[in-house]
Amino acid sequence: MSARETICVVDDDLDVRDSLALLLKRSDFHVRCFASAREFLEAGPPAEKSCVLADVRMPEMDGLELQREIGKRWPHLPVVIMTGHGDVPMAVKAMRAGAIDFLEKPFEKPALIEAIKRALAHDGAAAERNAAPRVDPREALTEREFEVFQLLVEGHQNKMVAHKLNISVRTAEAHRANLMGKLKARNLADLVRLSIFGD
Amino acid sequence: MIKVKLTDGQQDPLFEALIATAVDGIMVIDETATVQIYNKACERLFGYEAAEVVGRNVKMLMPAPYRDAHDGYVGHYVETREKHIIGIGREVVGLRKDATTFPMNLSVGEGYIGDLHIFVGIITDLSERQARDKRIQELQTEMWHVSRLTDMGQVAAGLAHELNQPLTAILNYTNAGRDIARESGDGDLETIFSKVAEQTSRAGNIIRRLRSFIEKREPNRLQEDLAKTIEEAIRLGMMDAADRNIHLELKAEPALPAALIDRTQIQQVVINLMKNAAEAMEHSPRRQMTVTVRAVSPDFLQVAVADTGPGLDKEIADKLFQPFMTTKKTGMGMGLNICRGIVEAHGGRLWAEDNPGGGTVFRFNVPVAKEADEA
Repeated sequence: MSARETICVVDDDLDVRDSLALLLKRSDFHVRCFASAREFLEAGPPAEKSCVLADVRMPEMDGLELQREIGKRWPHLPVVIMTGHGDVPMAVKAMRAGAIDFLEKPFEKPALIEAIKRALAHDGAAAERNAAPRVDPREALTEREFEVFQLLVEGHQNKMVAHKLNISVRTAEAHRANLMGKLKARNLADLVRLSIFGD
Repeated sequence: MIKVKLTDGQQDPLFEALIATAVDGIMVIDETATVQIYNKACERLFGYEAAEVVGRNVKMLMPAPYRDAHDGYVGHYVETREKHIIGIGREVVGLRKDATTFPMNLSVGEGYIGDLHIFVGIITDLSERQARDKRIQELQTEMWHVSRLTDMGQVAAGLAHELNQPLTAILNYTNAGRDIARESGDGDLETIFSKVAEQTSRAGNIIRRLRSFIEKREPNRLQEDLAKTIEEAIRLGMMDAADRNIHLELKAEPALPAALIDRTQIQQVVINLMKNAAEAMEHSPRRQMTVTVRAVSPDFLQVAVADTGPGLDKEIADKLFQPFMTTKKTGMGMGLNICRGIVEAHGGRLWAEDNPGGGTVFRFNVPVAKEADEA
C-alpha cells in the first residue's frame, strides 16, 4: 500500500477511541484520536488523505456542529458520523450537512470499513457526488412509497411513519422494503444520500 | 310552581320570580312531609313536574332506605326538636323520576307561616362536581401512567446510550482480536472471537428492540394556552398546597400567544418542579411558591417555578440534571433528567438559578406556535 490514509476518530469515550484505533490500525490505516470536536478543530486535518469518524453525541460541540464546522473550514474533508440508536434524526441532519455516511453503534467491522472506504474514495466537493449514477426516488416510487421515503429520511422509525400516514406498522414496513428494493438502497444512509442528491 | 295552602291567591311577583329563577332546587314541606312548594329547578333535578309532586309525601324523591325512614325523622323532630339536618346541610342522594339517583347537597331550614310549621330545603346538584372530581382523578391516573412510560422510555434511552459505548468498544476489540487470530492461524481462537462478536451484536440488538418497544408515545404537540395548561397542572398537582402551608401564586402575563406543546408532558414537568419546590420548603419558615408564565421573545414562552427553600448547594447544582442524582431518601433521581428531556424535545431549555430573595427558581422555555404549526 502506498501513502497510508489517516482516520481521525473523534469520540468523547476513551475506550471507543482506543478500540477503534486498534481495529483500524490493524486494517492498515493511520489513526489519530481526538477526545472532543474542539480538540480536532484546533489540530486541523492531517496533510495526507484522510477522513473523520465522529460520534454524533458529544458534550460541548456535538458531531452535527463539528460536521458543519468542517464543511466551512475544509469542505473536501469527508466525515462519517457514528450514532446511538436514538440519534438517527441527528445523523440524517449530519448527512444533509454533508456527512458521507453514518454508522449505528455498535457496528461490525465490514460496515465500518465500507463506510470509511466510501468516505475516502469520495473526493470532496458535493457537486461531484451529484455525478454519481442514481435513481430519482420521485420517479421510481409510487406516491405512497415516496411519502414513506420522505418520512424515513427525516429519521422517523417505521412506527412513526405508520402513525403519521395512518397505516399499519406492517404496511409501513412493506412499503419500506419495496422502496429500498426499487432504489437499490441497503440502509437508511443510502436513502438519505438519495434524498439529498435528489434535491 | 304550585302552592297549596301557603298563599291564597295573593301572589307576590318578586317571590314568584325568586323561586322560579333560582338555580338551586327549592322545596317546602310541612310537618307531615307533604310537599308544598317545588320550583322549576326541582323539576329539572328530579324529572317530575310540580303537579306530580306537590301535595304528596316528599319521600317519593328519596331512594330506599331513606325513603322509609324519612317520615320517622320528621315525626321525631316535631316531637323532640332534636336537630339532625336542620340548620345545616349534608350530602344526600336524590331519586329521579326515571329511577336513577344523583348526589345532592341538601340544606334544610325551618320556619312558620302563621300556624303552619314549614321546612325549606335547598338542593344543589353535586353530580357535575363529582364528575369533575372523577375527571381530575382520571387525569392524574393518566399523567401517572404517561410519566411511568416516559420514565421507562427515558431510562431505556439513557441506558441504551450508556451501554452502546462499551458494546462498541467490545465489538471493535473483538474484531481486532479475530484479525490477529486469523493471521496467526489460530482457528479456535478466531472462532471464539467470532462468537464474542456475535454475542455483542446480539446485546446491541436487544437494546435496539427495547428502545423501539418502549418508544414512542408520540408527543402530541398542539397549539395550547400555556397559562391554562399550567393552571390545570397546579390544580392537579398541588391540591394539598394549603395543607402543607404553602402559599401558591400563579402569575401569568395576559394575552400570551399559543404555545406548541404536548400538554400532558408539560404538565408533568410543571408538577414535578412544583413537587420539588414544595419538598424544598418543607422546613422553611416562609413557604411561598410562585409560578410565572411570560413571553421572553417572539419565539419562546417561559415558565418559572420559584420557591423560598434553602436554595441549592453548589455541588448539587452542578449535577442536578444527571440521571440517578437525588437528594431524597426515596426516588430514583430521574425526575429532573426526564423534565429536561421533555423540554428539550420541545426545542426548549430547562435550568435552575438562585431565587434573589432566597430559594431556587427553575425556568424552562417552550416555543410559541407559529402559523405553519397548525398542520
